[in-house]
Amino acid sequence: MNGIDRLEPGQAERLLREREKDWRKALRRELSVQKRMAIDRQPMPEQEPGVRIRNFKEVNLGYNLELAREEARRCLDCGSPGCVAGCPVAIDIPTFIKYIEAGELERSLEKIRETNGLPAICGRVCPQEVQCEKDCNLVRAGKAPVAIGHLERFVADYLCLREGTGPRLSFSPESFRRPEKIAVVGSGPGGLTAAADLARLGYQVTVFEALHLPGGVLAYGIPEFRLPREILQSEINFIKALGVEIKTNFIVGRTASLEDLVRAGYRAFFLGTGAGLPAFMNIPGENLLGVYSANEYLTRVNLMKGFRFPEFDTPVPRARKAAVIGGGNVAMDAVRTALRLGAEQATVYYRRSRAEMPARLEEVKHAEEEGIVFNFLTVPVRFLGNDRGELKGMVLQRLALGEPDSSGRPRPVPIPGSEFEVEVDLAVVAIGQSPNPLLIKQLPGLKLGRWGNVEVDFQTMATNLPGIFAGGDAVRGGATVILAMGDGRRAARAMDEFLTRS
Amino acid sequence: MNRVILVDRLVPNLFRLVLEAPEVAASAQPGQFVMVIPDGQGERIPINLADWDREKGTVDLVFLNLGVSTRKLAALKPGKAVEGLAGPLGRAPEIAGSGAVLLAGGCYGIGGLYPLARKLSEAGRRVVFLAEARSPAYLYWEEKIKKHADKFLTLFRSDCLYSGHDLKELLDKVRASNPDISLVMVMGCSYLLFKLSAAATGLGLKTLVSLNPIMVDGTGMCGACRVSVEGRTYFACVDGPWFEARGLDWQEYFNRRKAFLAQEEQALIRFDRESWNRTE
Repeated sequence: MNGIDRLEPGQAERLLREREKDWRKALRRELSVQKRMAIDRQPMPEQEPGVRIRNFKEVNLGYNLELAREEARRCLDCGSPGCVAGCPVAIDIPTFIKYIEAGELERSLEKIRETNGLPAICGRVCPQEVQCEKDCNLVRAGKAPVAIGHLERFVADYLCLREGTGPRLSFSPESFRRPEKIAVVGSGPGGLTAAADLARLGYQVTVFEALHLPGGVLAYGIPEFRLPREILQSEINFIKALGVEIKTNFIVGRTASLEDLVRAGYRAFFLGTGAGLPAFMNIPGENLLGVYSANEYLTRVNLMKGFRFPEFDTPVPRARKAAVIGGGNVAMDAVRTALRLGAEQATVYYRRSRAEMPARLEEVKHAEEEGIVFNFLTVPVRFLGNDRGELKGMVLQRLALGEPDSSGRPRPVPIPGSEFEVEVDLAVVAIGQSPNPLLIKQLPGLKLGRWGNVEVDFQTMATNLPGIFAGGDAVRGGATVILAMGDGRRAARAMDEFLTRS
Repeated sequence: MNRVILVDRLVPNLFRLVLEAPEVAASAQPGQFVMVIPDGQGERIPINLADWDREKGTVDLVFLNLGVSTRKLAALKPGKAVEGLAGPLGRAPEIAGSGAVLLAGGCYGIGGLYPLARKLSEAGRRVVFLAEARSPAYLYWEEKIKKHADKFLTLFRSDCLYSGHDLKELLDKVRASNPDISLVMVMGCSYLLFKLSAAATGLGLKTLVSLNPIMVDGTGMCGACRVSVEGRTYFACVDGPWFEARGLDWQEYFNRRKAFLAQEEQALIRFDRESWNRTE
């Protein structure tokens, strides 16, 4: 299928108009397609595995200008760019890459920011291999795709951090104020994106965050070795500079109800309350000391800075033999965290095989380089403890892959008699999470799906209650940062229409 | 910003902290708690709401000075601020019903039960308040509570717990003189919760306990505060903190509260040494 067919109406024409500009034509002529295709994908400079497992600093060090321009030259600037259609927020990828090639970094960032408020974050945490990079035309030619994520990250870092100038605004937020107040509940990627877009439209936006720091999963979930906190802070500062107010320590549904906020003058709501309800396996021994939800384990480390205990007060468990159950990004984050906290052995137990692992390729690669052991087709059936209630081991069962289930992935089927025991003193359950029910269960009449997720019209992210929109993991369960951002963007547009109409 | 209005040592080991928190005060219900972060390096800890003033926009917290976090809170001075305060959290217990309610509290629980005494008496229910303390010197808020309690009883260590006296017999006497007691609510240290609810449920009384397990976020996100009742796992922060004592897995509750005991001791030693060095 031609990627361009999947674009939104008008987008293909806009892409083409940009592509036909004189500077782009000139740039295309500078280097032949053959020469461009002969350039190898520029590897991301990384901390050595032996070094990085002893620190919490970012693994990827980022391109320098030279590497970035070389990588940008690999982009063929093709007439039907599959990458744009693969991007959930439809960034004009060829244009931003060609600006890098031309050395016009500010224009490049501006182009990204037209559709993506958090480029430094997306460049780091998006699963590019199943999105933009998957449909890169170089792949069809048997080459590695353009490193779109690395380039996105490069532009954002280069301008926002290294030059220390901070984000620049191409308009003044004070210039076209609209009177309506909008409440965004939750300051994760969905909420922040909705808030930024609505602020650009001139609305007065307040973001309510239950925790003491903004960022949602970006703050409590994703470790610093994947997303340094100064990057997050810089992106949040950008959103604040747009005029968005962020109220932390404010739990909508407890500190004030949604009706209280209506009474306080808020006219529309975006529920970006996330998937903050950890799933457990409901097997014997799950409440032993040493068994943690990934949410708790990662929150202690990331949000509370437990890895710096006792300088910071929040303790984290230090394990000798750590086991993480699950195969997604959260599982990779947890197991690599355990290793950095000094585990002699950190092991992943996943009930399907490598091919079905939902984690980003890069995370799996990094984990393997760091010495993480992977056990596929195994699942714990019970945890074993001592007389003080402390975890000492677990009993696992081997599985085989059977017929595809409702998710389209092969269903793991237990192999009878295959149980075996391992010694562990830390087990982190990272098998997913469902929407946090605290607020959404309080709204009478709000339509929920079978997993307790908020039901929406995905075109507008509108719930069945007028003026209430939702997005991100509250709607999708455990999904990705970029999908949440796409939701926030569509919701903002629909909220604007809703308020203009009413 | 949650500024400190007052820090007051109530008894040798218990402090009252009054903080500016108008939004929390506006929504507070008896039996709820808040999460407090003492300072920039601080941990998030749950503390019961002992009182609030909606007009002044303040909340009162009563806490036991025990570990690093509470040491930091006890050392606050008026005008300073805590790093964060979030709430009110937890479900407010249902207080409708008939008959008298026995509120049994020890330690911080005496303060934590005060708002319930007030609400119950305002709702027209008879309140029997039983305050447990090490000795009379550890009793506080007696006059304040008496305004909302039809009876105020005390229970000192010499009378119970460690003395070998049968708590069930003591409780039976309380019931004999207050035969209308239909509900017992207990708040305080784990040992008191356990002993009192064993006695109360043994007498066939419906007993609710306010659990205080380790928490991180306090909004149902992490599951640190898992407790088992009748074999089912609940999150104390959002499903509780009030649970029926009957069917609670007390051993698990005791174990899980000690999950970080070694680190807590380590942190406390470090904190005390640093405080000592500063005063040298």
